[in-house]
Amino acid sequence: MKPFTTRLLAGVLLSSSFLVTGFAATAQDVTMVLPSRQVGAPSYDPIRGTKLNMATTLIYDRMVLQDADQSYHGQLATSWEVTEDGMEWVFNLRPGVTFHDGEPFNADTIAWWIPQFSDTENAFMTDAIESVTVVDDLTVKFTMKNPDPNLLSNMAGFFMGVPSPAAYEAMGDDYGVTGAVGTGPFKLESFTVGQDTVLVRNEDYTSGSDLSVNQGPAHIARLTFREIADDSTAFLEMKTGGVDMLLSVPQDFRATMEGETDITIVTIPGRELFYMPINTIVAPFDDIRVREAAAFAVNQPEILENLFGGIGAVADTFLTDALLEGNVKDELRISYDPDRSRALLDEAGWIAAADGTRSKDGTALTVKLWTQNGTEFRRITEVIQAQLAEVGFTAEITVLDPSSINAEYRKETEHQLAVRSYSYENADILDWFFSAERLGYPNVSMWTDATAEELRIKAMTESRTWDERVANFTDYHEYVLTQFVFAPIYQPVQSYAYRSDALMVPDVIRSTQLQSQTILDIEVK
Amino acid sequence: MLLFTIKRLLLLIPVFLAISVVIFMLVHLVPGDPIDNIVRVGATPAEKAALVARYGLDQPLWAQYANWFGKMLQGDLGDAIILRRPVAELIALNLPHSLALGSLALLFSTIVGIATGTLAAIFRDTWFDRGVMTLILLGSTVPSFWLALLMIMLFAVTLGWFPVSGARTASALVLPVLTIGLGGVALVARVTRVAMMDIARRDFVMMLHAKGVSRWRIELGSVLRHALMPVVTILSLRIGWILGGAVAVEFVFARPGLGSLLITSLNQRDYPVVQGCLLMLAIAVMLGTLLGDIVQAAMDPRIREGMK
Repeated sequence: MKPFTTRLLAGVLLSSSFLVTGFAATAQDVTMVLPSRQVGAPSYDPIRGTKLNMATTLIYDRMVLQDADQSYHGQLATSWEVTEDGMEWVFNLRPGVTFHDGEPFNADTIAWWIPQFSDTENAFMTDAIESVTVVDDLTVKFTMKNPDPNLLSNMAGFFMGVPSPAAYEAMGDDYGVTGAVGTGPFKLESFTVGQDTVLVRNEDYTSGSDLSVNQGPAHIARLTFREIADDSTAFLEMKTGGVDMLLSVPQDFRATMEGETDITIVTIPGRELFYMPINTIVAPFDDIRVREAAAFAVNQPEILENLFGGIGAVADTFLTDALLEGNVKDELRISYDPDRSRALLDEAGWIAAADGTRSKDGTALTVKLWTQNGTEFRRITEVIQAQLAEVGFTAEITVLDPSSINAEYRKETEHQLAVRSYSYENADILDWFFSAERLGYPNVSMWTDATAEELRIKAMTESRTWDERVANFTDYHEYVLTQFVFAPIYQPVQSYAYRSDALMVPDVIRSTQLQSQTILDIEVK
Repeated sequence: MLLFTIKRLLLLIPVFLAISVVIFMLVHLVPGDPIDNIVRVGATPAEKAALVARYGLDQPLWAQYANWFGKMLQGDLGDAIILRRPVAELIALNLPHSLALGSLALLFSTIVGIATGTLAAIFRDTWFDRGVMTLILLGSTVPSFWLALLMIMLFAVTLGWFPVSGARTASALVLPVLTIGLGGVALVARVTRVAMMDIARRDFVMMLHAKGVSRWRIELGSVLRHALMPVVTILSLRIGWILGGAVAVEFVFARPGLGSLLITSLNQRDYPVVQGCLLMLAIAVMLGTLLGDIVQAAMDPRIREGMK
């Protein structure tokens, strides 16, 4: 063979092998689609960020992780102790942990990290901590302003990923946007807001918690999280094998996916709740009887069956079923009772006409019902409009984008009813939405009540143990229910779908939502 | 021709000034506030006021405008409030995707649109013409997001020729280009057909027929050349539309682009990004119109004379 021909052939072979190895995805590459709720998260800065996506839990380790049964398991903290009065916590830290940039993780890291939260949106997570003392290289002590049995719950949250102090200081305002450095099982390779995040395996990882069978480097070598806002596109990507896993199954495509042989759906209890806040300071809802009438007009079973095919659960309190504080007295649960609604409206002087509409002193019972754009919200709102009409309310729907809704709430007078949802798994959501210190938003109900404030403050700051906190929040929750400041609607479940020909996903999800501890155990076929 | 171009460029200056004022005012008059999206819940009024001052939102609107416009002339579009990056950088990241999608879609609709419009005009009132007109009617009425899903179902799911979504490979560009391009084909073909039928009735065309010049030579050499004037106008107007009007297509195909960036930022009331995106789209429309004018002037000396 002539030298030129030999070189040409070698070149072609080399190019071909590059094309194969350089561009083709390897067997250990996995692509997942983030839930639409997490699309558009602008950064991976757990301290200052207000919206984070699930990939955050893979870049950063946390002090503790929470299991699906709400128990806590050490990750960066191997063990902890709390004094009887709840005023001091001592955490023993895992030895030999290093950040992706090679910096060591130790007690000094924690002493630097906690104060960073002050004056940020996430300050409430660490508000109860007065100071952090370095006891030795691997031991820290938290001295509390007040007992906070919720500390472990806060420590297990997405926002409690521990960043590298050196990287955080060096990047300044760019931190989380142009780079993010943690101790987690994956390193951030690239991040384009609204498009995708590419993570590569941290080969030196040894900090897996006992919630994972695999406590070393992940089985997945390269993990891409795509942000696909359109449910149809996400479903079709899954169907054609373009992606391996959907971290949220679109309701409209659930039945179709269940019929696909290569797709497996995993369902775990939900952490989201749809509800209808009622503005308590605007007529006619300044009359508690009218609020109660509106709340009992919502037919939750009908919404569950007709809109969601029976998947999920009705909501009859303000908390999801998984929370102990949701175990309130049965008579306080708000369950559909149209006769009670009609009787209350009659009692309040709203007289029904022959066509079913009501009026009082010449004023029609017409109310504003706001909702935000999005198919799910619009559907629920339209059904509720019809249900309210059955007892005599004429509800006029206005659809707003989320930013406009918040701007209108801050005016504090315009709104009356709205359909909203929250996604959270702690009873202190009651404090978030009903604290008199947060009128307008998030206290959309504009509710100020001396008894409620007493109960709230007691639950938030005077509970010394977890059991005491549960009891205090249950009391607060029960009082909130008696005042009809909202109507509960629906609790969706969480569903994930994966291609069973590509992945092996553990049967049990060891967390209240899919995150790092389960991803570590996912194997690639 | 040079004088014509300079005059048209000078005319763009007041237009640009007016557009910049409109963009700035529109963005600031929409309800909602970017500070509401970043301020800590429970923050004191003083903390919120400090954030408002940090982003210069405490100044009178005219002062904010002057500040923004002055920096813009120096190439500084400011920093995104929510996305925390320079606006110019965000635009630079997204613009190439929009340009690739827009220019290929424009090229596709130009070539296919002129070809089908010409053939429909030549074979007017035949089955071919009626078929093309029916397709044109469908093309102009089917919403782009629906067409996008049909494209995905056929070419990605059933045939497996192209990826469903994304922007990681060149092949991922094919379906979005076809989706946007087909809408343009309908428009260009309709305008070409009507213009050709109009030109075909002119005296000089009759004279060419009388002289015995071949039909194809008349249609393609004379009628089409004259009929291209309104087509150029339509195409120049579509340049700006394609850059910003591909939002639905970018959404369905999960692609980056100026349209997606604009919608995301609008939802978060990220004023500097919204202003930057709208400005880019306005510049695209102005340059498209200018390009159309120049091409028309090059094709028709009467237009050049009219500017003198």
